This record gives sequence, C-alpha cells and structure tokens, in this order.
Amino acid sequence: MLKILVCVKQVPDVNLVKIDPVTGSLIRDGVPAIMNPLDGHALEAAVQLKETYGGEITAVTMGPDAAMSVLRECVSVGASKAILLSDYAFKDADTLSTSYTIEKGASMFGKYDVILCGKETLDGATGQMGSQLAERFGTSFVSSAALIESVDEKAGVAIVERETEYGVETVEAKLPVLMTIEKTNYQPRIPNFKGKKLARTFEITKLTSETIEGLEKDKIGAPGSGTIVPRTYPPEKTASGVMIDEGDSKKNVAKAMAIMAEKGLV
Amino acid sequence: MANFHSVTPELAEALKAIVGEKRFQYGDKVKEDYSHDEMPIYGKFPPEAVCEVETTEEVSAILKLCNENNIPVTARGAGTSLTGASVPIHGGVVVCTARMNKILSYDIPNMAVTVQPGVLLQDLAADVDKQGLYYPPDPGSKTSTVGGNVATNAGGMRAVKYGSTRDYVLALTVVLASGEVMHLGKTVCKTSTGYSLLHLMIGSEGTLGIITEMTLKLVPKPAMNVSVLLPFERIEDCIATVPKIRIANLDPQSIEFMGIDIVNSSSDFTGKKIFPTTYNKKEVDASILVTFVGENEDELYEKMEKLDALATECGAIDTLVIDTPTLKTDVWAARSAFLNAIEGDTKILDELDVVVPVDQIANYLAFVRSVGDEVGLTIRNFGHAGDGNLHIYACTNDLEFDEFWKRNKILMAKCYTECKRIGGQLSGEHGIGHAKKEYLEESVGEVPYRLMKAIKALFDPNGILNPGKVCS
Repeated sequence: MLKILVCVKQVPDVNLVKIDPVTGSLIRDGVPAIMNPLDGHALEAAVQLKETYGGEITAVTMGPDAAMSVLRECVSVGASKAILLSDYAFKDADTLSTSYTIEKGASMFGKYDVILCGKETLDGATGQMGSQLAERFGTSFVSSAALIESVDEKAGVAIVERETEYGVETVEAKLPVLMTIEKTNYQPRIPNFKGKKLARTFEITKLTSETIEGLEKDKIGAPGSGTIVPRTYPPEKTASGVMIDEGDSKKNVAKAMAIMAEKGLV
Repeated sequence: MANFHSVTPELAEALKAIVGEKRFQYGDKVKEDYSHDEMPIYGKFPPEAVCEVETTEEVSAILKLCNENNIPVTARGAGTSLTGASVPIHGGVVVCTARMNKILSYDIPNMAVTVQPGVLLQDLAADVDKQGLYYPPDPGSKTSTVGGNVATNAGGMRAVKYGSTRDYVLALTVVLASGEVMHLGKTVCKTSTGYSLLHLMIGSEGTLGIITEMTLKLVPKPAMNVSVLLPFERIEDCIATVPKIRIANLDPQSIEFMGIDIVNSSSDFTGKKIFPTTYNKKEVDASILVTFVGENEDELYEKMEKLDALATECGAIDTLVIDTPTLKTDVWAARSAFLNAIEGDTKILDELDVVVPVDQIANYLAFVRSVGDEVGLTIRNFGHAGDGNLHIYACTNDLEFDEFWKRNKILMAKCYTECKRIGGQLSGEHGIGHAKKEYLEESVGEVPYRLMKAIKALFDPNGILNPGKVCS
C-alpha cells in the first residue's frame, strides 16, 4: 500500500494581482487565494496512484490558517491526512527554510514512498522546491514527470515518462521518489459532493514551530533562508509598437526599413 | 413592401450635418462589418450610409429626415445578433449606437441604473458589481450591447431564476420613426397604467422605434455561488431531472444541458478536458450544470445536499462540485466555448433557438435528430435546460451551400412545426430578425400575427424602421 505525500501551496491568483508601483509590493486585497494550479496536477497524480495501487494520501502545506482551504481541496478528492504548518516564525521563508520545515513536519507521520509536487508556484516561480525536498527527504528525484507508468513497491522502483526539451524520456527511479508533475496527463478532477462534505469538517493537523519535532529554530523563516529579496518591482514598460499601414506590403516593408535605418538598426 | 428611396448625395450631406463628418460613412467608405451580423450565412447587405450617433437628438433628426424621404433605417449596436436583426437588408441608413456607451446614473435606493444603449453587457455587469449590486440578465455574448439585449429581449443562463432582459427594464427613451421622442415607464416597482408600450418596445428589434436610453432594475448581489455538475449515462434521465430540480424548490440560477458530442468538441477546441466523458467506469452521455447563488456557505451546502439526493434518485452517476476559483474559471471557459467549438469544426451551420416546455426537451431533441438523419444533416446542441431554451445546430462539413440550404429549409420547417405542436415557441432569446421571419406567423397564429402587423403600421406608417424583420 503506497504512502503518498502531496505538497501544495495556497497562492494569490496572479492573473488578478497587481504590483504597487510605489512600494513594489503585491496588492493582494480582494484577490482570491487559490491552490497553486500546478499543484492541482500533482494532487491528481496522487489520486490516480491511490486508485491504481491503493494506499493513502497525506497532503501538506505551509501558510496561514486560511491555507487550510487548499488542504480541504486535497481531502475532497481523497487525501486522508492533511497537515498545516503554520507559525509566525515561518514568515518570509525562502525555499531553503520552507523545504526544511515541510520535511520536518511531514516526517512526523512516517515515511513516504512517493512524494509529489507541482513544477513551480505561481507567486514565487523558483521551481526549486521539488529538488530541495528530494534532498531533504533523501529520495530519488524525477523532475517534469509527465506520466507515472508504474510504481512497483516490491521491486522498489517507479517507471516515469519525463518531458524534456528534446522529447519524452522514460526513466526508472528508486523508491522512495519525489516527482514534480507536468500538467500533460493530470487534469485535476472535479470533486464530488460527498468528498466536499467530508472535507468541510475534516480535522486538519496543525503544527507550529513548537510542535514540530526536532525543529531547529535558526533553520526556519527568514533566519533560515539563504536568500533575501531586497526589492520587488514591476518590469519596465517597453514603448508600444508602431502600426505600419501604407496600403500594400511593398510600401509597408519600405516604411519599416526606413524606420530601422533612422534608428541605426540596419 | 414600401418602395424605398436611395440615400442621394444631397441626403448624405444632410445626414453628415447631423452627426458630423467623423461619425458618418457613405458609399464605398462604409465598413464591411455593417453588412452582416454574427450569422453571415443569412447574407450580407451593405448599408448606403452609417451614422454613429451620440445623442437622442441626433437619432431624432436622422429618423425625421429618413421618414420624410422614405429611407430605411436599421439600428445596430455591436452587431452580435444571430438572426440578421441588425443587418440592413433593404440598404438605407444604419444608426449605430455603439458610441452611446455611457452609464449615466445610479439610483441606489430604488436599485436602478440608467444607461445609454451602446453600453456593453460586460461593462455594465462589471460596473454594477462595483456598486455591490447585480444585473441578472446574462446573454451568452458579453460584448453585445445592452440596447441590443433590450431590443431582442435577450435571455441567457440566469433566466431560470431571474427571468430575461424584459424583467429588468423599468423605463425607456425611444425615438419613433417620425422623429418624435417618447419616454416609457418609470423607476417604480409596479404599474397598472394602461397598455404597456414599454413592453411592446422590448423585443421589437428596432422595428417600432430606436431605444436611446434605458433605466434598468438591479438586485442585491448574491454573496457567493457554486456550480454542480451532474453526469448521466442516459440523456433521457438527464433531461428528466430538470423539472424535478425546479419542483424541488432549489431555486437554481441556471441549469445548463450538454451532450457528450459538444463536450468532446469543447475539449478539442480549448485543449482542456474539463467535463468528464467517463466517470466511475461509466460512459457519460449527457450532463447538466446547475448553479446556485446564496448568502453563505451553509445555504449553498443545504441546496447541494438536497440536489445530491435528488440526482442519485434520478440516476446521476455522481454530484460534482465546482466551487474553487480555478475550477469555476475552467468550467465556464469550457461551457462558453461550446458555440465556438461547433463553429470551429463545422463548414456550414444554421441554428434553432427554440424554447419548449422543459418536460418536452428530450422528446424534442430526439425528434430533431431524427429529422437531421432524414435530411442528412448533423445535429449538435446545447442549451438552457432549466428554461427549455435549446440551441440546436444543423451542420454539414460535406455539402455545398445550396444543397445544405435546401435540406436545412426542410429541417427547419419540420422542427418549427413540431415545436409549435408540443407547446413551444420559435425563439427563446435570439429573436426573429429576417432569418426566422417566415416561421413567425405559424408560431404565433394568424390573428396575433395580423395584430403585430397592425401595430407595426401604427408605429411606423412608412415602414422605414428595420424593414423586412419580425413581421414587416
């Protein structure tokens, strides 16, 4: 029976987020918080593994109490344990201290055969969490997993298709394995009402810096981070283009060439 | 049909003087867009002149001039009609209201907004939302103008709970063919004050007058919403569930129907497989998408609980809940792509926009499919199951236009006759235009049709307003 861990994050819907041009900070007021979309594909992969091989899914996230909603989404489609790591001391954590905290918190409930993450998050977009967590958990690591062909617990291997720049490659990974999941084959399912109802009142396990066993305080939050963000700012707007409409394509090309010549580009 | 005159250069000068040179197009300067709506299959008819109006006074002056000179006038908003309603089939002048796009004022205590006719539906909805209120009519084309919505009594998905555009019109300013300006209705909750010319004007498709200002009713904004998808193995069970949901007093905002073929097309079109085609190892033949609005989560869960029990009883495979922003975006993007998906993989199509009693939906769809088989046309459909309004498409990828049209005429005639027989009506929300005009008399009956023509003659003795449409 597989023990599956899926790591999810609550993020602001960046399609609706604006950046304050003066302070450079994200304006999150009124912006809905959603499960990081790529994590939804990891969750779907976890559910399909459970359906195929049996087992149990544990979902973990780090964030404020409001982040429980993404854990409830996990429960609604089949997670049987949900862990929220929440503490003011975790604030301003980068991937280094976040991966440390998640590994410490999730490991309190046993070992996992398969750990699944989204490729990256909408807000941070570092794409580092998967590989760092694999290091923390001491597992093998498959990035950009497009299809989990099989997981053989007895043999202790998983066969996985990876999407690469050059095509698809099939790899064999030793269990336990951490995979970051591509969206190709794992469109998140729509939860059913029974699942939603169960999730609504499901007891979520909340852990703090005081209750996570063996947590070293200097490795969490901002003090435990290896990076700092000195400034956030929107990209400078480039000048808008010029529409060339001289009547026919020859004249249009001539006009374009003239403009470029004027700028010393040709 | 009146013997209309052409727009002479002298008349063109007079029209130009009314709106100014920048807002006037004449002769070969008229843009091609004005010659058709979103169903160019019904033909392209360029106007002789276009006036982009900005005020009631301009519309009045144009109509007075055209009436005196027997020039046809066709009102046009965004040109999103689906029946040729905004297409000038007799030439003449197009009065384009797209520049009359101001939201003029809110009357919050009386929950009303006054707008010009060229305001786009999506802009009105967004602006009303900022006021913490709600404009319920929700026709599929969000870039249609509200003036066009009133002129066709457009419906949309939310009609199940809220009714159609007609139910939200409190007052109108209308310019008659003579150029006279009249004000109909007031910002009041009810009225029993003689014949309702207001309601006569709504849905008249620019044949009785041109609307230049509208006061619309608003309602409190629901705090939250949730959609529920019910997949079925059998289309008959799916459709039979619809009246039961209504009777169960669950008060849904919308109940949308989708067959498996349209789900597959939408999935191919958007590149995302959102609606399940197999579920719990069962083949899904049809689904309904039910949306509830409410003030809090408890209220919505209570409704979903009742719906879940009812759906199980009715044979639904499961009750799927769409309540996260991401799922809602995906589901409604897929639903909104249905028409585009059909258009995208069809060479030629024509549409029925019938409305039938909800308990007749399955029988009617089976009838249309049998006629489609008989004449050799592919039938595809989706629609607003909750109010019996079906969008059915007769499609071909193989036939040339003339052969398609010949077969299509047979299909349309048979389907409209059957629609009437089972107690349905010709159009649920798109209107008549010129495309469906030949079927109107049969649908409404001889005497009502005669009265419609008499009303048209009374309002517009010279027949200059949108000639060739509805009953003119």
